[in-house]
Amino acid sequence: MYKNIFNKDEWKRAEHMAVRETAGWYLFTHQLMEVQGEDAAKFLDHIFPNPIANLAVGRDRYTTMLNEDGEIIDDVVVLRMDEDRYWVSTLYGTKADDWFYYHSDGFDVDTSEITEDWHMFAVQGPRSAEALDSVLAEGVSGLRFFEHKNDSIDGIDVIVNRGGFTGEKLGFEVYCAADDADAVEEAIAGAVSAVGGREITEFQVFAWTLPTEAGFYYMRDLNRTNPFEVGLEKNIDWDKDFIGKAALLKVKENGPAREMVGFEICDANEDYYIRSKQFGGPGEPVFIDGEEVGRVSKLVYSYVKNVNNGYILAKKGALRIGDRFTIHGTDCVVTEKRWL
Amino acid sequence: MSKKIDERIPANSGDGANFRQFNAVQSPWNKLMSYQDALHYASRFESVLSAAVAQAYRIIIPDYATRASEMCKEAYARLLQTGLDYPNDDGFGIHPFMCGSYPGALIGDKGDDALLMCGRCNDFGTYRCEKELDVCDWDIVGSELCRATTMSLQGQADATETRHRKGHKLDYLMVEAKGCGDRHCRIIAESREKYPAPEHELWQSFGPAVSDEYKKDTQEPDTVKESMMFREECDYRFVNGTNNETDSSNQMVNLSTAASLYMLPAIDNAVRLGYTTKEQAEWTKKCVLEAAGKALFGERYAIRACREWLGVPDEIGEDGRLLGGVIEMLLQSLVCAYEIEAFNENEVVYVIDRGGLAITGTQSLVEAHLYMWQGMVKTLVNAMWSVWEEDSPKGKMRIKIAKKIDKFM
Repeated sequence: MYKNIFNKDEWKRAEHMAVRETAGWYLFTHQLMEVQGEDAAKFLDHIFPNPIANLAVGRDRYTTMLNEDGEIIDDVVVLRMDEDRYWVSTLYGTKADDWFYYHSDGFDVDTSEITEDWHMFAVQGPRSAEALDSVLAEGVSGLRFFEHKNDSIDGIDVIVNRGGFTGEKLGFEVYCAADDADAVEEAIAGAVSAVGGREITEFQVFAWTLPTEAGFYYMRDLNRTNPFEVGLEKNIDWDKDFIGKAALLKVKENGPAREMVGFEICDANEDYYIRSKQFGGPGEPVFIDGEEVGRVSKLVYSYVKNVNNGYILAKKGALRIGDRFTIHGTDCVVTEKRWL
Repeated sequence: MSKKIDERIPANSGDGANFRQFNAVQSPWNKLMSYQDALHYASRFESVLSAAVAQAYRIIIPDYATRASEMCKEAYARLLQTGLDYPNDDGFGIHPFMCGSYPGALIGDKGDDALLMCGRCNDFGTYRCEKELDVCDWDIVGSELCRATTMSLQGQADATETRHRKGHKLDYLMVEAKGCGDRHCRIIAESREKYPAPEHELWQSFGPAVSDEYKKDTQEPDTVKESMMFREECDYRFVNGTNNETDSSNQMVNLSTAASLYMLPAIDNAVRLGYTTKEQAEWTKKCVLEAAGKALFGERYAIRACREWLGVPDEIGEDGRLLGGVIEMLLQSLVCAYEIEAFNENEVVYVIDRGGLAITGTQSLVEAHLYMWQGMVKTLVNAMWSVWEEDSPKGKMRIKIAKKIDKFM
């Protein structure tokens, strides 16, 4: 039997709830690709299905990145830094570097990985703005969601972006030069502590439990899926060409074969044997009337709802909200894919 | 002696079975073996060879604690340095924000799958990781190896830690080991900050784990026999929790062995530390490996099985081609280049690329194979036959399988 490693772990609970109730900060440096040149917008519009060229300077956009088969190979945030300069925040660095390079023929564009140059600290939670306002020269007042601006902490230049991976309405990301990270970290840690918050240290909290409550995906969840299967098709710009468009149009025409649904374990205190893809591997099969209808993508814990929650990538229409099923003797129920 | 090479099956044999996409190995008598099967056989053979080398190491350092301790220190230091010299965070799906030594678990996870040591990652976090193996071909080598592999993982994890901002150190423990008779191998890595425990010597890396209550034991019906890269339910790809994905297309090239990674370096280390001399160590390896080779075909049914496995025609009697077939299957499985200079009832001569056989760059593994083959030929064929190195070009090992009388053999 798998022990329920989440519900009795007060360390994880305390870190998770700090973000929900006050504020939490953590190093969340991603890989960064810089794309610049006269054709930068045109190039990124070719790479990504969501529109990039119409993004205003100082704004960000979340988008998937597809291969020629229309499968998601990455999901990223694109930040427009200047008229012809963009940052792409990814966890796919080396591959993205190659992907961009091999698709840049015919575009007047330079792409480079700048991960080594920058660190990023996430500051998330209802009191995050208050914390940051106490250390930033200008503060975050008026900053809209997915908007970034230049600011400074104790004279150190930083870029503050409003956004994050926790589902919090108030959440920020502070970018600083790698050499300035110690000083910026010290300032942020002090500011968050002063409002009653804390450092979030557990990977399982900032990569799994917090985002899952908000229905977000960590890249593994999206592996070998297409945007229609995981509900990320809404902002695709069908009026432009992009890699994977032809394949994705077929999915649009025929409808997706699968869909990502939420689920919970009915008894939150129960130990269980349910393997999930977040640890690697194929995930636990879900059977209905002897037929495999899906695989468990993720199974974590919602400290807000006090329930083991997760996602199943299922055959379209096979699992509907409220449906009950059993995995290795554990009763589960299909739910919405959001717990906030 | 004639340099005749017996007629071979055309090179395009197997095309219809799609062996061009998924390689097969081919015996001299056109017995085709799938890539997957071939890798399993090669892995098993190399594990038997490794187990024999482990016996040599046990002779050189008889005391268990001393032997295990020296082996763990050597493995830790070497893999720490390897991790420092050849960082490959992207290759394992280690993200820039993963501070501390927990990302080392990603290295172990991927390495296990590549070595056909299938199982599952049960936990992966800043303060605790757990991996459970259902299969380990190295389980016949000895428990010292189980300890040393754990410390090599610790070395890799500690190297990873240096490339990121400050984080939390994990203590990697093998709390169950198939090499000790347990059903699974189980690595639990835990932070002493969250799970306090007294410090221990490197070789005492068997636990128990403080977080043992979180152990996730997989029951027999849910265990697996193949790595992800060989399982249909995984679409024949290894995929870890950070979406690092590998298919099996180059797996044969990457097969490393317990002898090359641990046992032979341990013996070299024992020589450096003065437990034995270089000459005595070589002599011990030769004695043990030749005996191990003889034992492989000591029973007649083993010979019959081997002939069946190779597809040897009935008209082929007791001659060196039998061992040649075994060697060719192994070399193809390891993607080790070789040329056939002679292959007939009187003699078999191969010119083998030393670099290809020195898996993971361990040069002494080449001679280890030769010792083993010399033992094998005595029982697989008969005592009139020998295999020896002769007139090797630079960078190659030219071996001859033929009849030989030696009054001091």
